[in-house]
Amino acid sequence: MHAAVRRIAFRAKRTQPLEVAVASRALAVWEHRKVVGLLVRRDLKVKYQQSVLGYAWTMLEPLALTMVYFFVFGMILQATRGMPEEAMAQGGFLLFLVAGILPWNSFGSMLSEAPRAMITHGKLITTMKVPREIFPMATVGTKFIEYLLTLPVLLVFVVVLGGSFSVMGLLVWLPAAVLLQFAFGLGMTLFLSSVNVMFRDVERMVRIITRLLFYGSAILYPAVMVLQAGIPGWLKTVYQLNPLLGIFEMHRAVWFADFAELTPTAIALWSSVVGSFLMLVIGYWTFRRLEMSVLKEL
Amino acid sequence: MAQPSTYETDGAGPVIEAKGLGVKFAVNRRRKRSLREMFIHGNKRDPNAEGDEFWPLRDVSFEIGKGDCVGIVGKNGTGKSTLLKMIAGVLIPDEGNVSVHGKVAPLLELRAGFNDNLTGRENVYLVGSLHGMSEKQIDERFDDIVDFAEIKSKFIDTPVRHYSSGMKVRLGFALISQLEHPIMLVDEVLAVGDKAFKLKCYAAIDRMLANERTMVLVSHSEKDLRRFCNRGLYIRNGSLALDTDIDSALAAYNKDTKAEVEERKKRDEAKKKRAEQKTEDGKKPEDGGEPGRKKDDPSGGGQ
Repeated sequence: MHAAVRRIAFRAKRTQPLEVAVASRALAVWEHRKVVGLLVRRDLKVKYQQSVLGYAWTMLEPLALTMVYFFVFGMILQATRGMPEEAMAQGGFLLFLVAGILPWNSFGSMLSEAPRAMITHGKLITTMKVPREIFPMATVGTKFIEYLLTLPVLLVFVVVLGGSFSVMGLLVWLPAAVLLQFAFGLGMTLFLSSVNVMFRDVERMVRIITRLLFYGSAILYPAVMVLQAGIPGWLKTVYQLNPLLGIFEMHRAVWFADFAELTPTAIALWSSVVGSFLMLVIGYWTFRRLEMSVLKEL
Repeated sequence: MAQPSTYETDGAGPVIEAKGLGVKFAVNRRRKRSLREMFIHGNKRDPNAEGDEFWPLRDVSFEIGKGDCVGIVGKNGTGKSTLLKMIAGVLIPDEGNVSVHGKVAPLLELRAGFNDNLTGRENVYLVGSLHGMSEKQIDERFDDIVDFAEIKSKFIDTPVRHYSSGMKVRLGFALISQLEHPIMLVDEVLAVGDKAFKLKCYAAIDRMLANERTMVLVSHSEKDLRRFCNRGLYIRNGSLALDTDIDSALAAYNKDTKAEVEERKKRDEAKKKRAEQKTEDGKKPEDGGEPGRKKDDPSGGGQ
């Protein structure tokens, strides 16, 4: 205990205090925001330039999957049971699926690219002096733009399926969902991109975990079905502690704001807020902690 | 390059200042170390670091003034490039610190930042902006860059993945040589391209040096070093052995190399002698044993 205190004091004396270090670093990142923009633009350009139907292709995959899920989970496995009767008139299970799958798609691809965010820029990182955070940030930025690009498609579904626009949904749930999703995502990306340089097996682990999170975050079924199922109470609590559960329930609550069953529970809500913030702190801390070793390893 | 708005060098002081610089690498990266330990103690408290670490550079201090051109000489693997990376700020020293006053143009890896899927034009704009050039500046110099790189206009709009490696490197050099940063770090990149292009590179560097710019050059080419540098740092076994003019540094380096070659020759000779003695001693039994084994071999392989 004493040793730890002394060590922290020693470090603080040797370098700058923590707040100053973080603030000056944040300033440096801000000064390089143009570089982040350039990297994002480059990634989008490469992605959409390679095929003529670039945008159409990126939309086609999640939509095709949505159809499959609609038939398997909606028609065959009757996941529609978890939907309130009145919600069926406001877009129903199909809108419920689309509103979850589209944001998940950008989140999932962020997770799959996160471990390589530093490695792919290895040459750039070892020749140009820029705050290293901008590379994971560029990855997240690209995914944010890709998420924004899914919104028109979502709106088409809302209009065609007769979804309803509500003040609560658009002004509370939508901003909250987007903010939390990308805060959590940035934390994850900072964490994974640096750790993966040291332990390359992380990349494989992430693939499995992403798949588990997909089913654990109630993308394909209303979360109430789990909460009403005959499983022990502690398991239900653990289930709700997944920050992503709350975040993706928010994404759908935008269109189903009036239904208590389709909005996050108090536990899910708080764990998504606290979890996203924690993930951001942990991610940033890990990133800075490993920075020296990462630079040597790249 | 991260120095925010204070690019001006304050006249007198050194442009690059290194104090007690040292960097260490772990030889056997410890996979067994638990993640928990790593996060709690970071790199400073590595339990099995002792003995496993290796200091490619240690206790290096020097100052470089404005307009100097410093050549770094030394054997392979003595940390010349590591030193350059620390000056560039892309490697954080474990000991000491280095302060650099002014923006740095790193000619360390000329193809860095090029994306194979983008065209030459797009890459010039991308990498130029990454190095801090404004769009207007690139617009103005674009033709110069393409012209210098000797890339035909029909290729500038094709993706870089179709370029030859020479074309990529030429484009990289052409672009970075347009940077107006006061400090240049050059790592063996003068050897790019064919003879004609090399001459052009020399001219470009001469032009940059004439502009009161500071350059640090790592090279194995004595000709290059003598041509550009007025000062030499000789690095031996990870520490700064000599900080003088380039000729003395090269002389010391050559002397050490010669001594080493001599020593190796001596060692080789001794080894040969020992081997000869051995074969002479053991000639008889070996002669007897060899044919027998040889006879066995083909029969064994046939079945």
